[in-house]
Amino acid sequence: MSETTFMGVERDKIDWKPTIDYTKCDYCMECVKFCPHKVFEVRESEVIKLIVRNANNCVVFCRACSKICGPDALSFPDKNATTQRIKEIRREESNG
Amino acid sequence: MVENFAILPCNGLDKCAGVISREIAIKLCENGKNEIICPVYYRVAETKYNKIAGEHALLVIDGCHNRCASKLAAEKKLKISRKITVTEEAKTHHIELKRNLRLLENEHALIESILNGLNNVDNTIVLTLEETNFVFEFVYETYQSGKFLFRIPKNQEVYFNENDCWAWVIGNRARIGVTDFVQQNLSDILYFTPPGIGAEIDQFGEAGEIESSKSVFELISPVSGKVISINETLIQKPELINENPYELGWVAEIELTDSESDKELLIGFDQYFEIMKKKVEELNG
Repeated sequence: MSETTFMGVERDKIDWKPTIDYTKCDYCMECVKFCPHKVFEVRESEVIKLIVRNANNCVVFCRACSKICGPDALSFPDKNATTQRIKEIRREESNG
Repeated sequence: MVENFAILPCNGLDKCAGVISREIAIKLCENGKNEIICPVYYRVAETKYNKIAGEHALLVIDGCHNRCASKLAAEKKLKISRKITVTEEAKTHHIELKRNLRLLENEHALIESILNGLNNVDNTIVLTLEETNFVFEFVYETYQSGKFLFRIPKNQEVYFNENDCWAWVIGNRARIGVTDFVQQNLSDILYFTPPGIGAEIDQFGEAGEIESSKSVFELISPVSGKVISINETLIQKPELINENPYELGWVAEIELTDSESDKELLIGFDQYFEIMKKKVEELNG
């Protein structure tokens, strides 16, 4: 499902993924059921039962999983800073 | 509030936000004009509450993002007129909700703020692009996948981001919305939360939300600027986004602040059409 680039920038260079606040997460796994991009992974036998497994699968600027998270345990980087960083990378690459 | 509402609160008793939802519903009914729909009793007294819902505009109060009340409304095929989410309101009012189930000073302050917000009606009048004699004549390319048809506008003035939102840019103004890819994925759209008129939005910032029984989609603005108008028809008829997310289901109009810079991160029809086709194939694959 993963896109290899976003706006012409390699996805790997863009820091955009959910961060799980384990003090809030109640492992309801709604985010796992919701996300079609397989960003999350369930680890039933571990103490921490949910991790962000495929960060690069996460659609840049999408925060939909945080919108359905009951305990509000998911957060994302600042959009404006990410936008500026993408523009910088594009300029660097076009100059390089 | 101007209208008389049937109020469907979350009523989750094991969470602070649920208890607050219940309290707001009770306070709103103290005027004798609004009526509560009990989400638990609704399961066994469907006729009673369907009648109440049929006679009033429906206000849904979700406690948190689990959206239990919204989902119940969708299950019962009720049309939502207005909706609030307590945890979102708490963020807006900079009030931190804790785990207590008794209402304390903090929670009462939030309840008062929410009630004040519900009583405020925004009467801002703005000039829309239509009123300034711009004509929107979309020309489409179509893509069929199984029973799903995707129409994408190919006008030169229409730009897209890779988040499936479009912007028709005219001078220093733009009309924005979502593409057919979004509405087909969401399926039946039940509720539309517009961006605030006058709000300043960054490129890729949130410009409203669209909600179906399946999911919530945050409209990711292709452009930066100030919201000068919203499509008010969508508040009563969000299903127009399913019917036609362009001419009928556009979301807002933006006064642009940095159009040239925004275009650096926008794409035209040719690129977006290919990206969308790939997404459709991946979803079906």
